[in-house]
Amino acid sequence: MTTPGDDRRAPTRRELLRHAANGFAMLPLAHLLGGRNGGDGTQLRHHPARARSVIFLYMDGGPSAQDLFDYKPRLAREHGEPFALPMEPTQFDDNGATMGPVARFAQRGESGQWISDLLPHLCTAADKLCFVRSMVAEFSEHTNANYFLHTGHGLQGRPSMGAWIGYGLGAEADDLPAYVVLNGGLIPPGGVDNFHSGFLPAHCQGSRFAMRGEPLANLRPLGDPARQRARLQLGADLDRLSLAERGDDPALEAAIHNAELAFRMQSAVPELMHLDGESPRLRQLYGLDDDYEHTRTFARQCLLARRLVERGVRFVELTCPDTGSDRWDQHANLERGLRRNCRTVDRPITALLADLDARGLLDETIVLFGGEFGRTPFAQGNDGRDHNPFGFTMWMAGGGFRGGCSHGETDEYGYKVVADPVSIHDLHATILWQLGIDHERFTYRFGGRDLRLTDVFGKVQRDLLC
Amino acid sequence: MARTSRNHLAARALLAATATFAVPALGQDGDHLPPDLTGEEMSQRRQHWAWQPLLDAPPPDGVDTHPVDAFLRARLHQVGAALSPAAPPDVQLRRLWFDLVGLPPPPDATQRFCAEPSDEAWRAEVDRLLASPHYGERQARHWLDLVRYSETLGHEFDYELPNAWRYRDYVVRALNDDVPFDQFVREHLAGDLLPAPRRDAAGNDESVIATGAFWFVEQAHSPLDVLQHEADRLDNQLDTIGKAVLGVTLGCARCHDHKFDAIPARDYYGLLGFLQGSRYVQAPLRPWPADSATFRAALQAQRALAAAAGLAAPADDGAAPDDGVTLRERDRVVATAARPDDGWFVTNDGFGDRPWRGPLCLDQAPAAPDSAAQLRALPGAFWCSAVAGVAREGTLHSRSFAVDERYLHVRAAGRESRIKVIVDGFYLPRDPIYGELHRVLADGEPRWLTFDLGAWRGHRAFVMAIDQRAPDLGDPGRDRKRYADDGWVAVQSIVLSPHAAPPPTAAPPPALALDLAAPTIAAALAHLHERQRAWPVSPTVPALADGTGRDGFVHVRGNPHRAGAPAPRRFLSAIAGAATLREAAGDGCGRLALADAVLDDDDPLPARVCVNRIWHHLFGRGLVRSVDNLGALGDQPTHPELLDWLARQLREHGWSQKHVLRLIVTSAAYRQDSRRGPADVDVDPENVLLHRQNVRPLEAEVLRDALLAVAGHLDPTMGGPSIEQPREAIAEARGAPKQYGPADGGGRRSIYLAVRRNFPHPMLLAFDQPTPFACVGARNRSNVPAQALTMSNDAFVRARAEELATLVCAAAPAAPARIDALYRRCFARAPSDAELQRCLGFVGEHDDAAAFADLAHALLGTTGFRFLR
Repeated sequence: MTTPGDDRRAPTRRELLRHAANGFAMLPLAHLLGGRNGGDGTQLRHHPARARSVIFLYMDGGPSAQDLFDYKPRLAREHGEPFALPMEPTQFDDNGATMGPVARFAQRGESGQWISDLLPHLCTAADKLCFVRSMVAEFSEHTNANYFLHTGHGLQGRPSMGAWIGYGLGAEADDLPAYVVLNGGLIPPGGVDNFHSGFLPAHCQGSRFAMRGEPLANLRPLGDPARQRARLQLGADLDRLSLAERGDDPALEAAIHNAELAFRMQSAVPELMHLDGESPRLRQLYGLDDDYEHTRTFARQCLLARRLVERGVRFVELTCPDTGSDRWDQHANLERGLRRNCRTVDRPITALLADLDARGLLDETIVLFGGEFGRTPFAQGNDGRDHNPFGFTMWMAGGGFRGGCSHGETDEYGYKVVADPVSIHDLHATILWQLGIDHERFTYRFGGRDLRLTDVFGKVQRDLLC
Repeated sequence: MARTSRNHLAARALLAATATFAVPALGQDGDHLPPDLTGEEMSQRRQHWAWQPLLDAPPPDGVDTHPVDAFLRARLHQVGAALSPAAPPDVQLRRLWFDLVGLPPPPDATQRFCAEPSDEAWRAEVDRLLASPHYGERQARHWLDLVRYSETLGHEFDYELPNAWRYRDYVVRALNDDVPFDQFVREHLAGDLLPAPRRDAAGNDESVIATGAFWFVEQAHSPLDVLQHEADRLDNQLDTIGKAVLGVTLGCARCHDHKFDAIPARDYYGLLGFLQGSRYVQAPLRPWPADSATFRAALQAQRALAAAAGLAAPADDGAAPDDGVTLRERDRVVATAARPDDGWFVTNDGFGDRPWRGPLCLDQAPAAPDSAAQLRALPGAFWCSAVAGVAREGTLHSRSFAVDERYLHVRAAGRESRIKVIVDGFYLPRDPIYGELHRVLADGEPRWLTFDLGAWRGHRAFVMAIDQRAPDLGDPGRDRKRYADDGWVAVQSIVLSPHAAPPPTAAPPPALALDLAAPTIAAALAHLHERQRAWPVSPTVPALADGTGRDGFVHVRGNPHRAGAPAPRRFLSAIAGAATLREAAGDGCGRLALADAVLDDDDPLPARVCVNRIWHHLFGRGLVRSVDNLGALGDQPTHPELLDWLARQLREHGWSQKHVLRLIVTSAAYRQDSRRGPADVDVDPENVLLHRQNVRPLEAEVLRDALLAVAGHLDPTMGGPSIEQPREAIAEARGAPKQYGPADGGGRRSIYLAVRRNFPHPMLLAFDQPTPFACVGARNRSNVPAQALTMSNDAFVRARAEELATLVCAAAPAAPARIDALYRRCFARAPSDAELQRCLGFVGEHDDAAAFADLAHALLGTTGFRFLR
């Protein structure tokens, strides 16, 4: 599919007449608004889709595979000894001795997946998880690596994966955007451009919902809602009068209808954020009332993620709460940082998987867990790990990914990939594939080129799929 | 980032040991050269319309007196369509005001024109607006989109680019003054090198400011691979010039010959050479001329003070000064002050025009004359940034050199100043990786600084000594920081060496404290201070400066670590042939020769691109729709003869953009109605032939300015440092600004709001202000709920609505008159009966003080306000 860069299809006059909505909160306008809350009006499908939405658990900072998922006995054995392999340059150039995992590993579930004690809840979901233990990235510092993970390109300015997917598929929701970022508190290095639409139409960008205060800027009606409604109705009536007198235009009509979507979001989003209707059992399962503040925040994010995909949002991204340990970026105090982060995400993520499963949503929702790179098997200083793009772990669940699968392999230290490397482009290609999109045919014309999320790379990893 | 490194040695050893990061030897990858475009293929591609000379077709014959209309009507006639009738006068006027000055027409202007909407009145209105200072503020934003204007460097910490705002003011002034577009482009490419730069009334250099546009580029704080980082930066800089000025996508020729256009990879790397030989500096706008009598008098006063203190200046006997350094085997001098012509570059006036010999007074600033006045000297000759006083500023650069020995020794002294080794054009050397390349001079004592460059062997580098008040790029104590007024730096010698220890040096004479009780000394010091105060220290701007010129080589597959064929500096071969500009460049970067080539009569692109952009802004779409790409993958021109006729008009009328604007907005085509008609159904559904005007949304900045204007809240102050966002608008993230501004932006026009890469303005972002990462000639025109939410619920909008209501309520007691005034302010027209009745009904229903505020708020949210018909 190729679309000129500045083209955005507005509903035709005929469509508008067919669906003429006379006033606010009258008619659901999803079919009209395809061009505005994600998508370009066409529901792109190259082949039957296996999944319809994605939840990206974005572990900002680069979690340590060696302590969580990538069990290496030799690494533990040689703890404290000089590192035996040549070292690549590292960000901080403070390379110490070999450093074993800070927690005990065991095989979990029927599939026998290796997961460490740091994630006790997730261990119970081991058979749902499809591990890629051979991820490779191309950048060893955060900003470029974040752009790369999000946009398939190491520099600022390209559209994020969520924007691409929203652009291609549009939203199923009539009162919510296609790409929502549930912001736990931290904006990753590289800033909001990680969630940007780049050269895609601006309506594809991630809408950030804050977890504290107002979830969305200007969402709260000013003053009395009845007066607001009267005011907006007045504006709409005056618009119609001037259109009748001075001529109509698709751009004007689209803007008028957009005001109606915005009006509906004013109630849809608070309704979404309002969790009182969820059962006490579920609240407990997610950890909404946990002793630990950050677990409560992330629990809220996970529960909201479910509610969003339930409502037809295509791509939900969760960013981390600020646990005071500088994200997953443990250059020092590895164990303390890991324990805080694991405590924050372990219970909520496990609950999310179970909840999605129980509602039959897991089959059609891809859950992706991972960061922009991994960490070194040797210490930084005494008790940290530096950045390592040469081999790290991500996992997927649901959406047609093979639960209980373990793909690829790093060396005996968990340093570099030695078998079946999977690149970020491969990851993107595979996710698109499950959504019914062929990444090589999913292009957008910009600056004289047909650009793709996967650039000129990427291979669908069929081994990961059911 | 949790902490900084303690282990630089290991780091550098690592970097050095890693083959991936090594610099290639010239031509070593020659076997893997991309095929250069062959003659036949090249000449075939050369046939593409955009490379052809400007057409010279006269306007078609017909009834039209206006050439623009003649061209358009001829095309419309072919499909049996015609231009639409003129739009209602109020619609025309509103369109014109927003397009030319970006503000709504005030009621008196509406009255003036609508009372008698004659052609003469229209032309008078056009001339009035073209002469308005708001014209430049409006048009400047279009250009800022092209050069991805930003006041920060992005990446992790979003460091400031000091004094970037002066560039924005430069653009506003240049457009208001209608500086010829070719001059404007020339200044962008080589404003620092012009033999006679353009100066303002106060004598400030205008031309040099333009080169700052190159530095609106992302810069990483700690890249592992500096060569790659440089290649990416240069690519962005080149891509921006290519698109903004030439309308070609040079970036496509980075990894291979362009796939579709007549642009071989050798063109790309030939162009890259001009930038590789250029450097970042903070350039002064009005340096104190070193050959002036006042400057010489300050130097004389230095000598006189030394004499009064009993220190005679060294005899100026014509003998080459020495630098007191004894070289050992394999010590190699990169540059020494004993040889003033050693490829040194200075900026600003601190260093004068030659190295100094003898003692210098390096006391506190003249403002605090009593503290610690002393004389210091280095043996022999040295460059010092305080020859005319410690208050003066400057940076001193060495020539570029290949790092072919492990150690670099720099003999230097200074206070509140810095020495940096710039490797591969990486200007932000800091911990964790690059702390080694950056030193601070604090105590004034002369010493050797030894840099271990083992990790960068084979790379290219130069030394930069910095004494300036503008903050250093990437300074951790950033955000409008100023270094002390009385800093200074002195450099004597730069030596590459395999030896870790610096070469033996003659001991410097001890500093001599001045006896201020002695009347002769006190008088000489007072005299010196008086001389030094004779010239204010110049403001500075980010700019390009000349460096050591050198041709580069093709990067095989775009990989800077893989050297292909040499790529002599040249302009696009499709226009200028394959001849190199190396000779014209001399020892320098050669940008002046490049500017001549770009603006050569044989190059049709700059004029075409320029007029096409003007057209785009006046009709919502260019004659070539893809305004940044006139290449094979761009769109074809809809009216090639008109496009080239306009380009010729631009050239023949002194490259005056105002002339072209005036031509277009006085056409019937510009003034026609935007109402859809029969031609929309059949012959011209996309209005490609312009059978009507296009309906266009107000751009982000214009919308905000319009809100301020109708509410009477607009502060028309022009220029100056940018207004930061209010604290509540700033997300918690790295690099968040340390300064905040008022919630209403001080009522200033949006062009004066700070542009931070990582912290875009939420309201402007919602209305499609582009992220400043690449040239954007055609903005997105999105329609997102966030826009409607802003208009409905944003406190800024509500405050303006309330001000607007107060304004109209104070002016008229009766509701109909108030509604009439609201309509005139917001829409430049009176309400229709139906509109008036609907509004009256509303305020009658909500019969309270807030009713008119609600009414005003509703009007601001309508399409009538947010769009141009």
